[in-house]
Amino acid sequence: MRLLSIFVLFVLLGSRAAEAQPGEHIVLTGGPALRFMEHGKDASHDFYWFNFVDASTIWLNQIKSTAPAGDLITWLVYKPAYVSRSNELGLNLISQIVGKARALNVNLLFFDTKEQLINYLNKGQDRDKIKITSFDYFGHSNKACFLFDYSNTIDTMSICYLHVIDLKHIHGHDFARDAVCKSWGCHSGELYSKWWKDEFDVAMTGAVGKTDFSHGGLPALSDANCRWAQ
Amino acid sequence: MRARLGLLVALALALAAPVGARAQLAGDTSLTAPPVAPPLKKGSPLDHLTNDPKLDEPAVGYREGQTGTEPFFVAHRAIDTDGGMGWGWVRKSDDDWGDGKWIALQEQPGLAVAPFRKLKTREGDADWEFKFWGHYAPYKAYDPHLDELLPVFVLQGYEVIGRAAPLNLRVGPPGRPHSRGSGASSRPGTPIETNHNID
Repeated sequence: MRLLSIFVLFVLLGSRAAEAQPGEHIVLTGGPALRFMEHGKDASHDFYWFNFVDASTIWLNQIKSTAPAGDLITWLVYKPAYVSRSNELGLNLISQIVGKARALNVNLLFFDTKEQLINYLNKGQDRDKIKITSFDYFGHSNKACFLFDYSNTIDTMSICYLHVIDLKHIHGHDFARDAVCKSWGCHSGELYSKWWKDEFDVAMTGAVGKTDFSHGGLPALSDANCRWAQ
Repeated sequence: MRARLGLLVALALALAAPVGARAQLAGDTSLTAPPVAPPLKKGSPLDHLTNDPKLDEPAVGYREGQTGTEPFFVAHRAIDTDGGMGWGWVRKSDDDWGDGKWIALQEQPGLAVAPFRKLKTREGDADWEFKFWGHYAPYKAYDPHLDELLPVFVLQGYEVIGRAAPLNLRVGPPGRPHSRGSGASSRPGTPIETNHNID
């Protein structure tokens, strides 16, 4: 009986060890609008410059407290929007972001273009060994697009974004089969989640309707008519 | 013995179970109130935008930014009734409007910004014409309201010419579906319906 129990223990622990390849948790953060662009609008975005950053750091902190030992935690931040908002504010937001990443002890990578982002997802780690096990996006979005730049370079438009038709450039095998993905932005559950699932065979939770970052912390659904969907 | 085996199995199962990290994530989602923005820098573009008196319509002959050189562009402001955020048409000074492009306007705060920034409303310069100085950017702008791409004109300066008759041109970039409500896409192969929602 003792031999049997040891055997059971070894089998079960062994199966876990075989699965226990380190994974990577990715938090992707878009940029804020400029107040110059948004001033005077009825629906005026991003009074607070770190609405997406603060939500991201809260989530990173929670990932840190629950991720298996050895997993990588990577924070990808769209830099140009924070540079221009820094210039508008007279604050150095980049150094503040670096300080937050250092305090959290997570890997911080800034990106300037969609191509750099895609390149990291595909080739930033050896994806045969290190799969993306969780993916979270904080930023502006519509149902077809993650808008890393929004109303920052051009009023109410974007020059850096990840459209659903861009998803084909990201390799499906970057993701673990049981990866957990979520867009915390608006409207992703209305279309983006479907394309994500079709492209990667991994579900992405997204909002049907709007999410609200304006109160600080993690965003909430804007009203009772909104819901999360996959 | 059996109890011992059960304990071992339970322990092993607990260790072998995938970590349901997301299921456990909860708790602290709150944050203290965001810091207050530093005061507007005197003379900054945002300071001017916020505090300068606003006009009903552009002032003929007004110039802003780098102006006066040849060649220049002629620009006709128009409002996109489909809900898009394009600025209007731009053509080279020696072209006619048939060669005009429906553009997104990239302002340069501190150098030259859209003429409507001086007005009481954003539509206050509709069907006004301007001389524009600047260039086309190598990238395009994505308009999330209509899921379409527009050429970007980077504004370096402008001069107000005056009011003009509406142009007999279809608003929007070439290829925009005539009926936005049909659910057709403005981009080949992308079944994106008209969507005015963005946040």
